[in-house]
Amino acid sequence: MSELQFLTWVRGPGLDLAIGIFLMGVLWRLFEIYSLGRKKDLAEPRSVAGASGMSTVFRRSIPPAGMLKNSPVTYVAGYVFHVGLAIIVFFFAPHIKFFQSLLGVSWPGFPSQLIDFVAVLTIIAMLVLLFDRITKPVKRYLSTFQDWFTWALTFLPVLTGWMAVQHLLLPYTTMLALHILTVELLLIFLPFTKLFHAFTVFGSRWYSGAVNGHKGVAV
Amino acid sequence: MSASLEKGVRVLKEVIDAPIASYFNSCVHCGLCAEACLFYTETGDPKYTPIHKLEPMRRLYEQEYTALGRLKKLVGLSKAVTDAELAEWQELVYNSCTLCGRCSVVCPVGNDIVYMIRKFREGMSASGNAPEGIKGAANRTIKIGSPMGVKLPAVRAQMRHVEEDFGLPIPMDAEGAEYLVMLSSMEIMNFPEYLGAIAKIMHQAGKTWTLCSTAFEATNAGMQIGNSDLARVIVSRIVEGAEKLKVKTVISPECGHAYTALRWEGANLMGRPFGFKVRHIIEVLGEFQEQGLLKTEGFETDRLTFHDPCQLARRGGVIKQQRNLMNMVAKNFVEMPDAGFMNWCCGGGGGASAIEEGEELRMEAFKKKKSQFDTVKPDRVVTACANCRIVMEEGLEHYKMNLPVVGLTEMIADHLPNPVVTKPEGN
Amino acid sequence: MASTNDKEFREKLESLSASQQRQVAALFVQRVFGLSNDVRIRAALDVAMRPEISDAELAVVSQAANAAKVESYAQCGKDTDWNTQAGLFVAKAAVSCINPIAEGKNLAWEAAMQVRVARTCEAASGDVKDHKEAEAQYAILDDFLRKQGNRP
Repeated sequence: MSELQFLTWVRGPGLDLAIGIFLMGVLWRLFEIYSLGRKKDLAEPRSVAGASGMSTVFRRSIPPAGMLKNSPVTYVAGYVFHVGLAIIVFFFAPHIKFFQSLLGVSWPGFPSQLIDFVAVLTIIAMLVLLFDRITKPVKRYLSTFQDWFTWALTFLPVLTGWMAVQHLLLPYTTMLALHILTVELLLIFLPFTKLFHAFTVFGSRWYSGAVNGHKGVAV
Repeated sequence: MSASLEKGVRVLKEVIDAPIASYFNSCVHCGLCAEACLFYTETGDPKYTPIHKLEPMRRLYEQEYTALGRLKKLVGLSKAVTDAELAEWQELVYNSCTLCGRCSVVCPVGNDIVYMIRKFREGMSASGNAPEGIKGAANRTIKIGSPMGVKLPAVRAQMRHVEEDFGLPIPMDAEGAEYLVMLSSMEIMNFPEYLGAIAKIMHQAGKTWTLCSTAFEATNAGMQIGNSDLARVIVSRIVEGAEKLKVKTVISPECGHAYTALRWEGANLMGRPFGFKVRHIIEVLGEFQEQGLLKTEGFETDRLTFHDPCQLARRGGVIKQQRNLMNMVAKNFVEMPDAGFMNWCCGGGGGASAIEEGEELRMEAFKKKKSQFDTVKPDRVVTACANCRIVMEEGLEHYKMNLPVVGLTEMIADHLPNPVVTKPEGN
Repeated sequence: MASTNDKEFREKLESLSASQQRQVAALFVQRVFGLSNDVRIRAALDVAMRPEISDAELAVVSQAANAAKVESYAQCGKDTDWNTQAGLFVAKAAVSCINPIAEGKNLAWEAAMQVRVARTCEAASGDVKDHKEAEAQYAILDDFLRKQGNRP
């Protein structure tokens, strides 16, 4: 298969397949998890402002007292790469064009030099986290094949995308095709791995907030 | 699969709900929960990572409730939960977890880990893997009415003692009283001054109250062991007593887990809302203080700090009241680092202090509490949980620290003027 | 004249000096020592009964008595025996005797109360009926004061 054929495939059938699996996977998994439901809490509630499911969805993004000082790498590198990913995915002009072709809407992007800078920061943050996962006893102890696999799944799109823009290593067409392929792999595996936290984090934080909010405790 | 394992697995399957499913699927193995758990921070052993304490339950969830998991099981790619594994996990689920809830509040993806541990204990206890110490307590509660075998005559003896010392009658089975006061075995046995303190306070506040002869015990060993059936039996005794006596409010004593069991889990265990309110004694004292019913005299002048019982503060939402009460009777009240919501566990709750094999681990974990004391350097520590008191005294003794531990309710009562009640002539 | 009620009793105790409070408290605890028989308590009582004791001695027996007390707490969830539990209150009473006195504390009264609880525990175990410990304590105090009065 030539470079161009590869690129055409990942842009065409590959993409359709990946998005299809992604969407169906997400819907199925959301159903699988949340259809279990939960019993109603019959204890007399204690209503306290700020103690609810919704407020925890937001509040939990702030490290609780003492934790940032205790684990700066996890929090700082974690935020850098999450925010970095969001910025790159949603504010890089070629990506916005892609969303436009898919959804019919577009929005202003950030200057490409900024995206480039953010991409480098994101790559560094992810490498730092990989190193941290290898060296910190608790992280290493908890880590399974899935942790390393999903790290690679998330890292490769950023790396290949950045390399493509920089015209590094391989011809642009190939690099671009690889980038799209890695994104498709990410999409396919996302619903079925810990990456699904991208969706369940809202549900989990909400449940925690609601259960504790019933007691008037703002978590 | 053995019969007991089957039972355990069945129970576990029943308790798994959407929150638990959401939590297991959200965990990204970041390890922050370990940093919040005193059993990890003081030992450095990663096996005490809170989410790891749930591993068998996680696998069971995956194998039973996810398509992918069921598929893996079908093709023989999944590891089944075994008797041996559950036995191995006993230490993690009981000895090294006090249900303190710190892990739950730090998890960045919002996992309520303590909620899951509590449910996991249901399966552990159903499969026969609960520690002997708590099993005995649970059985005694069912058979005798108290986890420590405290019977009504003993309670009556304490009542007489208080009546003689303070000249205040202790009502028993008084129908229509506003408050039903619950006691915990720990208080009856170790801190009988609590009953006298209650009598003094109620007398001064002018409130009607009573004990109940069929339900004086608040401690819920069923809750600690993780056996809802047992927990329900204990709660229903209290509910029956409260309804029979037509009280408005049931007061949970200075025992953290008793409060959680009655206030937050009770109605769910009974399957219906209560017809009465449940309040922790500290909440009630807080209300009295706000209403101006506590007319205290004098102040403690030594340097005091307050240890927040986990079930009262972080898990129960009662955080300000104890501080207001302290300020009412103490001139030199200083907070320890991480005081209030994020305070560190004493290391003995959730049944942990009843587990003999876990003592060494508890002493290790106590170093965290000790470090808080070393920083704030108090003359005395005040708290509002009989178990915390003893666990801390034991820890302090172990580390040769001379630091008295006192109860808040008693301290408040000490600052109330002695009741002016004339004793009947000719005893 | 022996006290006839606790109010009188308490006030009389309050008026004693630190050393006197220790000594009379030790006498109270002595009566229930049989419910404990812990050597550390014995040591604490022996020290407390002496009119003159150094801070160093106090510190040593204080630590030991406190250990005895902490060990005798009934553990949450353990099956308890009221006779053993009485031992806890004997230890608490002994600890009261030898703790350094803080402002406004009535050590002897605290010790007396703990002794009475120890008796109550004995009663709770069913072996003994209601006790008359208070009267015995009034008598001890009265006796002690008379003996003190005789000294120059």
